[in-house]
Amino acid sequence: MRRPYIDFMGKKRVMFSISGVVLVVAIAALAFRGLNLGIEFKGGTAVTITNVSNATVAQVRSAASDAGLPEPEVQTTQNGFIVRSIETSTGAAQTEASALASTLHVAAADTQVNTIGPAWGSNITNSALLALAVSILAILAYVSVRFEYKMAVTGVIALFHDAIITLGLYALLGREVTPNTVAALLTILGYSLYDTIVVFHRIRENTQNLSKKTFMAMANDSLNQVMARWINTGLASLIPVLCLLFLGGSTLQDFAFALTIGLISGAYSSFAVASPLYAMWKEHEPRYQALKKRFAEAK
Amino acid sequence: MDSRQKNFLALAGLVVLLVAAVWAFWPPSQRITQGLDLRGGLSVIMSPVGTADQTAMERALAIVENRVNGLGVSEATVQLQNGGQAILIQMPGYKDPKKAIAALGQTGKLEFVEVASLPTTMQPNVTAGFVLPKGSYTAALGGDVITKATATASTNKLTPGAYEVDMQFNASGTTKWASITQANVGKQIAIVLDGRVVSAPVVENAIVGGDSQITGSFTADQANQLATILQSGALPVPLRFSQTEVVGPTLGQDALQRGVLAALFGILIVAIYLAIYYRGFGVVAWVALGSFAMVYLGILATLSRAGQYALSLPGIAGIVLSIGLAADTSILIFERYKEETAMGRSPRMAAKSGTRHAILTSLDADAVTFASAIPLFIFAIGPVKGFALTLMIGIICDLTVAMLFTRPAVMLLSESVVPKIPAFFGVKGGGAGA
Repeated sequence: MRRPYIDFMGKKRVMFSISGVVLVVAIAALAFRGLNLGIEFKGGTAVTITNVSNATVAQVRSAASDAGLPEPEVQTTQNGFIVRSIETSTGAAQTEASALASTLHVAAADTQVNTIGPAWGSNITNSALLALAVSILAILAYVSVRFEYKMAVTGVIALFHDAIITLGLYALLGREVTPNTVAALLTILGYSLYDTIVVFHRIRENTQNLSKKTFMAMANDSLNQVMARWINTGLASLIPVLCLLFLGGSTLQDFAFALTIGLISGAYSSFAVASPLYAMWKEHEPRYQALKKRFAEAK
Repeated sequence: MDSRQKNFLALAGLVVLLVAAVWAFWPPSQRITQGLDLRGGLSVIMSPVGTADQTAMERALAIVENRVNGLGVSEATVQLQNGGQAILIQMPGYKDPKKAIAALGQTGKLEFVEVASLPTTMQPNVTAGFVLPKGSYTAALGGDVITKATATASTNKLTPGAYEVDMQFNASGTTKWASITQANVGKQIAIVLDGRVVSAPVVENAIVGGDSQITGSFTADQANQLATILQSGALPVPLRFSQTEVVGPTLGQDALQRGVLAALFGILIVAIYLAIYYRGFGVVAWVALGSFAMVYLGILATLSRAGQYALSLPGIAGIVLSIGLAADTSILIFERYKEETAMGRSPRMAAKSGTRHAILTSLDADAVTFASAIPLFIFAIGPVKGFALTLMIGIICDLTVAMLFTRPAVMLLSESVVPKIPAFFGVKGGGAGA
């Protein structure tokens, strides 16, 4: 049983170009279209109603206006609607939501009302950013101590790659960003890192007694050695998340979307961003430069 | 003890663990607490206008707790969040959000009411917790005249270990309090917060000095709480609603069912895939996935019992994501094993060194992921926290199953079964005798 051998490192310019183009598109989308932030960040009210019989978006919108919800936006879900409004008063939102539900003949049990005060969003954002910053410091410290700082830095570059692409896609599609999206994104970073560490672990193992080939060639061997695991684990992670994307309710689909993009980007960046960057950096070390020279002459 | 015995011991350990886990989580609908977004109910976050110091927030918390208790909700929780700068109130299953929101939004009014002035039918009911209907009473004195209230250990030798509350009044309060107590010797005066009786002590003597004690068999906690209410009946900081979530019960259950269905479907497809790809070892992966799920649920149930966990929608998403994590350790082990047998090692040797290398890799990757999840759990609020927790639990379960099941199982199978039917395990037969 022979496995195919792929020259990943030889194609690193292609891989960097793909990442580069996607990153440019993502950054452009973030800069020009911006993120569609949910009410959790801006303040406002979301009324979720399910088991609605025979109502159109237009009917729901006019019912919401009649109920007194200011500037209602209506979105359909699998079995109902979400009405978003700029209402930030909790008391008023309750009254307006019950009025809306009774107009549409929806029971209180099938209704969800979520109201966010005006200044609360910055709280959530700040706490998430603080958590992210400390988390990245923890990663840098741990990987630097346990492995080496070059792995830590290239691993974290891959994380930023994944985060920017995921957020960029949200901007491009105009998908609403909620605290759930942020949670999914942060968790995905953990997964992406996991993948990268598995590759780095193999590279480090193969670095011992390296004398018969260049660092780059050895890194490429390492990628090929972990490739089957990479594909199988990628699928084993992606399949359940895709099930959630197709079968879950609206909130779970929200998560699943971010997780799907993040898993794909994370798996890609371990192979196509973190590993080649690390190998290129290592090739500059005198020891590996000597190896490179030796094998260049031998050819 | 040789490695064979160790492996059997590990498997026995796993069986014990699984029995304990099933005992802990069965039946799951009762043993695993469901969060508000699944059960339905009311969740409110209140935060101060501007920033408030810790003592002010703690006093505000005590008052909010008092209001929530007044609503008679059985499982309500009230706690400080976001570095002490927000109060989270959760009332699972509560059905009257308008009433709760009105009660929480009160300004906090403390009053003294002469029980003798109440309608005679009502008088016997006046004990802590009784709600005086609006308009049914007139306050004799407002709580704003109290300058200080402290809880102290009782000096009365008849009630050792009991606590009492000392109150001091301002000048005008002292005069009024003297006349009120004079008129009510031997009768009760109710201390009323937002229309609800907090305590209704009997006046022993007329109190003229403006310095009085409320005695009774209070514990330290009760006395402190009463002192807090007396001193700061009105909220020490103005609070506003930052986030209010009212979830209908059927809505959450529907989401839960869809989530569970998606998770089961995901596990099924992954299991089929692993069986096709790894054949004999696919079966090992099934048992590993099943054990992972049971240990995971066992931990959730144990945390639920300790009141530290409630399953939420973000939690379900986190669990679905951890299926991949669970499969990965098995995949790492099988791949390494295949690699080593391909290099000509016997199944037995490959099992020993392959599982060790694979678990070391997994351990490092797990440790980094764990290290990145800890700050998310500590600093973030809301869904990020729940997600980070499920990730950490997933990592612990993953390593437990790898050590107690996957490694011993692969090693034991490689001793006898794999050499006999190598093709079934996707291994070349040649090296078996080596």
